Amino acid sequence: MPSEDADRIVVLQGTLDLIVLRMLETMGPQHAYAIATRLEQLSGNLLHLNQGTLYPALVRLEQQRRIKGVWGKTESNREAKFYAITKAGQKALAGEMRRWRRMSGLVEKLLTEGA
Amino acid sequence: MHRFFARFVSLFRGEDAERELAREIESHLALLQEKFERGGLAPLEARLAARRAYGGVEQAKELHREVRSFVWLEHLAKDIRYGWRSLLRTPGFTAVAVTALALGIGANTAIFSVVNTVLLQPLAYKEADRLVTVLHNGTGPVATANYIDWRDQSHSFEAMGAAAYWSSNLSNTDPSNSNPAERVLGLKVTQNLLPLLGIEPLLGRLFIPGEDQEGSEHEVILSYRLWQRRFNRDPNVLGRPITLNGEAYTVVGVMPPAFRFAPFWATHAELWAPDAFGNTIHDRGGNHLRVFARLKPGVTSKQAQADMATIAARLEKQYPATNRAVMVRPLKENVVGKIETPLLMLLGAVGFVLLIACANVAHMLLARTSDRQKEIAVRTALGAGRTRIISQFLTESLLLAAVGATLGLLLALWGTKALVALSPAYIPRVETVGMDGRVVLFLLAVTVVTAVLFGLAPALHATSGNLSGALKEGGRGDSDGIGHNRLRSFLVASEFALAFILLIGAGLMIRSFFALQSVDPGFNPHNVLSMVVSVAGSKEEAPARRAIFYRQLLQRVRALPGVASAGAINHLPLAGDMWDRGFLIEGRPKPQPDAWPVGIYRIVMPGYFDTMRLPVRRGRALTDSDDARAPGVVIINERAAKRYWPGQDPVGKHIAIDPGKTDLPVWLSVIGVVANAKQEDWAAEPYPEMYLAALQNRDFLGESAESIRAHMTYITLVLRTVGNPADMVSAVKNTVWSFDRNLPISDVATMDRVVADATAQPRFEMLLLGMFAAVALALAAVGIYGVMSYSVARRTREIGIRISLGAGRADVLRMVMRQGMLQALAGATVGVVSALLLSQLMAKMLYGVRPSDPVTFGGVAVILGLAALLATCVPARKATRIEPILALRNE
Repeated sequence: MPSEDADRIVVLQGTLDLIVLRMLETMGPQHAYAIATRLEQLSGNLLHLNQGTLYPALVRLEQQRRIKGVWGKTESNREAKFYAITKAGQKALAGEMRRWRRMSGLVEKLLTEGA
Repeated sequence: MHRFFARFVSLFRGEDAERELAREIESHLALLQEKFERGGLAPLEARLAARRAYGGVEQAKELHREVRSFVWLEHLAKDIRYGWRSLLRTPGFTAVAVTALALGIGANTAIFSVVNTVLLQPLAYKEADRLVTVLHNGTGPVATANYIDWRDQSHSFEAMGAAAYWSSNLSNTDPSNSNPAERVLGLKVTQNLLPLLGIEPLLGRLFIPGEDQEGSEHEVILSYRLWQRRFNRDPNVLGRPITLNGEAYTVVGVMPPAFRFAPFWATHAELWAPDAFGNTIHDRGGNHLRVFARLKPGVTSKQAQADMATIAARLEKQYPATNRAVMVRPLKENVVGKIETPLLMLLGAVGFVLLIACANVAHMLLARTSDRQKEIAVRTALGAGRTRIISQFLTESLLLAAVGATLGLLLALWGTKALVALSPAYIPRVETVGMDGRVVLFLLAVTVVTAVLFGLAPALHATSGNLSGALKEGGRGDSDGIGHNRLRSFLVASEFALAFILLIGAGLMIRSFFALQSVDPGFNPHNVLSMVVSVAGSKEEAPARRAIFYRQLLQRVRALPGVASAGAINHLPLAGDMWDRGFLIEGRPKPQPDAWPVGIYRIVMPGYFDTMRLPVRRGRALTDSDDARAPGVVIINERAAKRYWPGQDPVGKHIAIDPGKTDLPVWLSVIGVVANAKQEDWAAEPYPEMYLAALQNRDFLGESAESIRAHMTYITLVLRTVGNPADMVSAVKNTVWSFDRNLPISDVATMDRVVADATAQPRFEMLLLGMFAAVALALAAVGIYGVMSYSVARRTREIGIRISLGAGRADVLRMVMRQGMLQALAGATVGVVSALLLSQLMAKMLYGVRPSDPVTFGGVAVILGLAALLATCVPARKATRIEPILALRNE
C-alpha cells in the first residue's frame, strides 16, 4: 500500500457504507463522483480515499438493495449512474446510526475514563 | 439473502457487470477530468490528474469484483482456462506428464477395484459379518456326530448348519435336449443352512424342516447358472423330477444369479440337496462336514470361540482324540485370508509407482516453472498475490491430474478386465470385480492428492524467487538457487529409493517363482492328459460291472494311436481331492487313538506310475494280476518309508488301513516304494502317502457300504501321449462314450496345465509386481535423465566457462556423472534400508528365498546402477561437447 499522511484518516471498515447511505439520504440521488467530492469537502480533506475505493461500497449496498443506481445525465450533460437510497436503505441507516452512536459513545467513554 | 443471490447471479452475468463497471468508472474519470480542466489544467494533464485522484483503476476493478461476486469461483474458471491454454502451449511436456499420471492412477484404480471387491465389500449374504465357520484349525472339516453336539450344546449362535461335498451326475432325461450327462459339483446341506444365509430363492423355496430326514431328502435347489445351462431358464422347472446319480430328485427352488455357496471351498457348487447324514450320525472320525453358523446379535466371534472351547473340551474328555483345535472364525476371513497379503502388497506397489510418477511430474513442473519466472514476475507486478499464483499453479496441476485420471480410468477399466482374465481361480469373488462409488471416490481422492503432491512444491518454489531479478535476467537465470537443486535431488533420490523397493519386491517374487518352477513334482507332467470319468447313475456303476469297465476302458485307451501308456487314479495329485487315513503296522502295538500312523490315501489302476513317470525306488509297481483274487498289496511313497520304517526296507512289511470299529484288520503287503509326488500344495513337503490297488478295493468297486460308495463313483484317467496331449481329447472322450453315451466326462486337463494352475498364484503376483517394477524403473530412469539434461542445459554457460578456463572434457564428464550418480546412490541407500524392512512383510509369500536375499539385493543394485549410469551418461556426454564460445554467446 502507498504510504499515507499520518494526519489523514483511513476509512474504518464498514463505516464507508454508513456515510454513503447518510449522504444519499440528506442530498438525494448522487453519482459516485459527487459522493466522493462531497466526502472530501465535508471532511476538510482529513478523510482521504482513492475515489475508486468507493465502488465496492456502492456495489455492496446495491446488492443489499439499500440503494438503487439509475443511469442519468449530469448538469454538464455527461452520463453518470445516480444512486438513490431505498426504503430498506433508510431503515438500515436508522439502525446503523443508532449502533454507531452507541459504539462511538462507548469508545469515547472508555478512552477518557478507562485510563 | 439478497446479497448471496446477487453475487451468485453476478457469476453468470460477469460480462454485463464488467461493462457497466467500466462505463461507470469512465464517467467518473470524465467528471474528475472536467474538474481539473476547470482548475486550469490542459486536457492531457487533467486526465492524468484524474487518474491519480481515482487511484489504480485495475485494482479498483479487482476490489469491485471481489465484493460483487464469488471471486474465487471466477478465478477458478479463469485459472482453468489459463491453465488449459498453458498446457496446450507445451504439448510435449503435457503428453509425458499425462502419460505418467495415467499409468500411475490407472494402475492404482485397477488394483483398488480388485481390493475393493475382494477385500472390502461384505460377502453377499444377509448381515454377513455375523457369519462364521466352526472348523478344526480354522479350515479343517468336522465329523457328523461332533457337529450335532456343537449345534445342540452351543449358546452363541442363532443357527448352525453344515455342508458336505457332493459330486453328482446329472443325467439327461429330456429327449429334446442333446446335452450329454454332466458331472455337477453339489453340496449336501443341513436343512437350516441356506435359510441361515438370509438369501431368498429366485424361484420356489428353500428346504423346510423335516426335509433332511432319511427318505424325504430327495429335493434339490439349483443355481442360476445350472438352471440357465441345463433348463433354459424354464420357470416350470419347479416340481420337475431330475436324475442325479441315477436317483430321482425334485427341483424345489432356483437361487438368484449372484448367489454363490460355499464361498471358500467347493466354490463352484451348482446344486444343493438336503443331507440326511444316514449312518454317519454317530461318526466322530470321518471329518467331512464344513460347519457354518450365524452369531446371535451382539455376540462376537471371540465369545463364540470361548463357548465352543468349553464344549469341545468336554467332548474331548468324553471321546478322546476328537474335537481338537475347534476354531470359530469369521467367514470372510476364510474367504479372503490367503489373498489379503498379496493384494495389499500389490496395492502398495502401485502406490509406489504413482509416487514415482508424481516425483517425475514434479521435477518436470519445476523445470517448467523455472522457465516461467518471468511470467510469474509480471503477474505479481500486476497485482496477483502469492496465494493467487500458487492457486493458479495448483489449478494447472489439478488439470494435469484430471486429464491423467480420465485416461487412467480408461486404462483401469481395461486393466481390471485384463486382471480378472489373468487372475487365477484362487481369488474369491474376482468375477464380480467392477467399479462402484467407492472406486470413484478413491479415484477422485488419488487425483487430488496426486495433484497436490506433484504441484505444491514447484508452486511454492516458483513464487519464492526474487521478482525483479527474474525480470531483469529476462527469465533465464544462470543456475538455480540451492533450494531448487536440493528439491530436485530429493525427488530423484526418492524415485530411486522407491524403485529400489519395488525392484526388490519383484526380484524376490521372480526368484521365488523360479525356485518353485525348479521344484521336482516327482512325476513328469509333460505330454500327459487327464480327465475324470464318472459312472454314477450309469449301468457301469453296478458293483459287478465296475472292475470290468475300468479295465476295458484302459485297454481301449491304450490301443488308441498316439497313446504311449495309460493308467488311472481316484484323485489326481494337485488337482483332485486329498483324503487321509490312519493305518496299523503289523507287529507293532496298537497305537493310542491320536497316535495312529497316517497317510494320504489314493487308489490307482495299473499303469499309473509308468504313465506319470513316477519312479519306483524299491520293489515293484502294480500289475494287472493284483486283482481281487490276489493277496492285498499297497505301494507307499518314500516319505512314508522314511517316517514309519526309518533305516529299514518296508517292502514285504504289512499294514492295515484303519478298519473302523467292527471289521478285523485286512493286511496288505507293501510291494513297492515310489518317489514323493506333489500332493495338494505345490510348495509343501509331501506327506506320507499310500497307493491301493483299485481292483482289490471293495469301496472302489462299489461292493461295500452305501455312504462310501457315493464317493467312489468316478475315476481319473491319465494317459501319456506321443504328440500334443490336447489333440487326443476327442479321441479319448469318444472311447469313453463307446461304452455308454451317458457317462459324464469332466475336468479335462493336461498335466502341464494342472502344474501351471498349482503355481498360478505366485506367477500372477510375480507378473504384476514385475510389471510395476519395470514401470518404476523406467520412470526413475526417465526422471534422472530429465533432471540431468535439464541441469546440463542450465549450466551450459558455467560449463562453457570451465572448458574455456582449461577444464578437460573428462573433468566435465566426471563432474556431471558424479552429480547424477550421487543422487541415485543416496536414493538406493534409503531404498536398501526400506526394502530390508518391507520385504519382511513378504516372507509368507516367498519360497526358497529369504526376504533379505543378497542375490536379489545385489542384482537390483546393479540394474539400478546401470539405469542411472545410462540416464546420466547421455546428458553428461552432451555437456562435454559444449563449445565455450557458443555457450557464452548463447546467453
